[in-house]
Amino acid sequence: MSEKETSPAILQFAPLNSSVDEGFWHSFSSLKLDKLGIDDSPISITGFYGPCSHPQVSNHLTLLSESLPLDEQSSIASTSHGNRNKCPVPGILYNTNTLESFHKLDKQSLLKAEANKIWDDIQSGKALEDPAVLSRFLVISFADLKKWSFRYWFAFPALVLDPPASLVDLKPASAYFSSEEAESVSAACNEWRHSDLTTDVPFFLVSVSSDSKTSIRHLKDWEACQGDHHKLLFGFYDPCHLPNNPGWPLRNYLALIRSRWNLETVWFFCYRESRGFADLNLSLVGQASVTLASGESAPTVPNSVGWELNKGKRVPRSISLANSMDPTRLAVSAVDLNLKLMRWRALPSLDLNVLSSVKCLLLGAGTLGCQVARTLMGWGIRNITFVDYGKVAMSNPVRQSLYTFEDCVGRGEFKAVAAVKSLKQIFPAMESSGVVMAIPMPGHPISSQEEDSILADCKRLSDLIESHDAVFLLTDTRESRWLPSLLCANANKIAINAALGFDSYMVMRHGAGPTSLSDDMQNLDMNKTNKQRLGCYFCNDVVAPQDSMTDRTLDQQCTVTRPGLAPIAGALAVELLVGVLQHPLGINAKGDNSSLSNGGNNDDSPLGILPHQIRGSVSQFSQITLLGQASNSCTACSETVISEYRERGNSFILEAINHPTYLEDLTGLTELKKAANSFNLDWEDDDTDDEDVAVDM
Amino acid sequence: MNSGREVIDGRLTVEGFSVAARAFADKWKTHNQSLPPWSWVPLINRTLLLSNQQEEGYLSLENILILSSLEESTEDESLNVATECSEKEEPVDHTILVQNQENEAHYYDFHIVYSASYKVPVLYFRGYCSGGQPLSLDVIKKDLPSCSVSLLLQSKWTFITQEEHPYLNRPWFKLHPCGTEDWIKLLSQSSISAGCQMPVELYLVSWFSVVGQVVGLRIPLEMLN
Repeated sequence: MSEKETSPAILQFAPLNSSVDEGFWHSFSSLKLDKLGIDDSPISITGFYGPCSHPQVSNHLTLLSESLPLDEQSSIASTSHGNRNKCPVPGILYNTNTLESFHKLDKQSLLKAEANKIWDDIQSGKALEDPAVLSRFLVISFADLKKWSFRYWFAFPALVLDPPASLVDLKPASAYFSSEEAESVSAACNEWRHSDLTTDVPFFLVSVSSDSKTSIRHLKDWEACQGDHHKLLFGFYDPCHLPNNPGWPLRNYLALIRSRWNLETVWFFCYRESRGFADLNLSLVGQASVTLASGESAPTVPNSVGWELNKGKRVPRSISLANSMDPTRLAVSAVDLNLKLMRWRALPSLDLNVLSSVKCLLLGAGTLGCQVARTLMGWGIRNITFVDYGKVAMSNPVRQSLYTFEDCVGRGEFKAVAAVKSLKQIFPAMESSGVVMAIPMPGHPISSQEEDSILADCKRLSDLIESHDAVFLLTDTRESRWLPSLLCANANKIAINAALGFDSYMVMRHGAGPTSLSDDMQNLDMNKTNKQRLGCYFCNDVVAPQDSMTDRTLDQQCTVTRPGLAPIAGALAVELLVGVLQHPLGINAKGDNSSLSNGGNNDDSPLGILPHQIRGSVSQFSQITLLGQASNSCTACSETVISEYRERGNSFILEAINHPTYLEDLTGLTELKKAANSFNLDWEDDDTDDEDVAVDM
Repeated sequence: MNSGREVIDGRLTVEGFSVAARAFADKWKTHNQSLPPWSWVPLINRTLLLSNQQEEGYLSLENILILSSLEESTEDESLNVATECSEKEEPVDHTILVQNQENEAHYYDFHIVYSASYKVPVLYFRGYCSGGQPLSLDVIKKDLPSCSVSLLLQSKWTFITQEEHPYLNRPWFKLHPCGTEDWIKLLSQSSISAGCQMPVELYLVSWFSVVGQVVGLRIPLEMLN
């Protein structure tokens, strides 16, 4: 690369580049959070680099988790000296507490301060004892520990030679040495690299005798090396891979050589490796020419440069580690992993997307509501809304799994609110909200002053049902389920109903709404008899829902159930919902019976059969599935009722609430009862559907 | 060392893992010169000492370089770095070489860690680019050879998950070990040298001959002797 004799080219150095391992930021974050707090005094750190090991890629100065002052809790033996690819280099870290102060740092004076240290080490001779100090570096940073993002800027202070050094010659080492010499140099270098004592010393002398014997010596042995050599080169680990340029460490090296030994001509050796051994084709030997300083007694500190560029620009670098450090994101990916494992190992056709996007409305946040919510979370369902007007009472937390003692203290927290808080504590990524509202019920007549607010509640309930995909009916009375059932049938939303007796439970899914038949089923090949919808909770009733609460004795009002029932019924309710969601026909899926199916392997649903109703008891430890068709006289989901609701809206609701016989007349149940009473039939006493009621003391 | 006790039904004991790991690292060094050697990282401060006082640890192979021709993802650029215009600019220094954009280099670290719950070795790995930013799984998959990618898709025994590294407390990718026992048993059955029982020294070599293919690291056949 030398030009004419009169003006050789200026020696150009390839900049050193930084590489910060993720582990460094993790360790630094812990250090800041646990020990430093807002203390922003500079921190001594250690950087690591090694000679270039690849012909196409330069090495970097690296920061690892062990770059920070020692952490006692690490369970990995810290790798300090003796690691061939991690030559330790001293550095300093200035971390600011705000972005503004990061920008306000006086970079030039910080750089100058570090450059002064290097100059001092050269003058005092320390650089000869421990040459790694020639590569001293500086980092400024701003760590945003709320967003887990890190802004940083490295500087590799280099003393500027004035006038700059010029390059007389540069060639591959294999072209410079004779083949005998090359072999000897390689062997000596490999030995140097192989020994724990010398492998991390990045600056050294290469002395080649006239009979091609090479010895590699420490810099401090320079005097001893004089005289008995044929060639004496200043060797250093060169991170750069380029064939026409030496790496950055040569800059301060030349400053040292010039200052200590007053040499005008410097032969340097850029040591590079491949596959762990000296590579003299990749390594370079060059001849530089420096201008000696005029004879001053106290040499002054040269200027310094060295702020690292970011893709050619004078801006800091930044990295966001939210994905690997933000605990909420880590929780999300762990939970997702769990579900994916289930899909990979057991149920490859499981559709996880539908589960993560479904919006569930839980009417009732008591024993059933809490159990349903927990099981929904287990399936990866993230969107849950609670509706409940009660407060957490002292007897609740033992049976209602989302509440703790703290929720009952004082006046008691609203269940809808406490449930949401609890979900977020279990899994921060839950999208959950609570509505404190009572559900209007037929058979509980209201005064005219209350009418407006009741109608507002009806509207609110209707809007909630519209804005969700699946509704769970988990309230504590029969009649409170009437309006939601009607609204779900009207909006054709999936409704799952669960109810408890003392030692028995019932879980069912409502059929599709009556008006769905004309819209959705047209393209399905079904004859008239199959156009039956599955029934709802009220299809088998012969009376309209009535007030079941007043006029009962205390023990009947607060019916108690065996504690095991709510978890069983709640879990079954969720499994039933998931079955519906995974079924290609969804809400229109027909009901299966466990007795009729062939061993549970239904082609339509990867999860097995999809029953209509499940009834079980713990007194017998038994469980059966039932199938019931929709009734044309149903007070909640029949076509008659739905069209009346659609036509008359609020006045229909008010009439149903205030006059229970209205619904019976409307649906023809009145007629049916008269006809039935003329027979001698035994109607089953249907009070197995009351459930756990919290007693407010 | 009674090798019969250390490999049972496709599973390894923790002592067996130590033995197998060293055998594997030695064979690798001898036969696989094109890649750097594996190093054993001992774990200190473990309260549970093994019965025969062998240290616990894991195998580590780090800084494997893969040159990628793809454009680097701008994940970190989203941190809206305003262009700085410092008042006291550094004087322009002509001795600094102006560099072209380098080839984008991706670095990979591999750890072979013993799983006490599955009783088999597990391959953990991660990728990062030259500035240190971690690579996402999508980017890593683009670095894998195409036969690896199809192996991942088709095989029901190999899939990649992201979990916390057992000792480093950071998320790493790993090849999930739940199928390992099964296919090691299959390999044992076809192992000629030791009848139906795989000698412990060959355990990791055989294991890696399958697992390594998924991440694109090949081992030469001589290692299997």
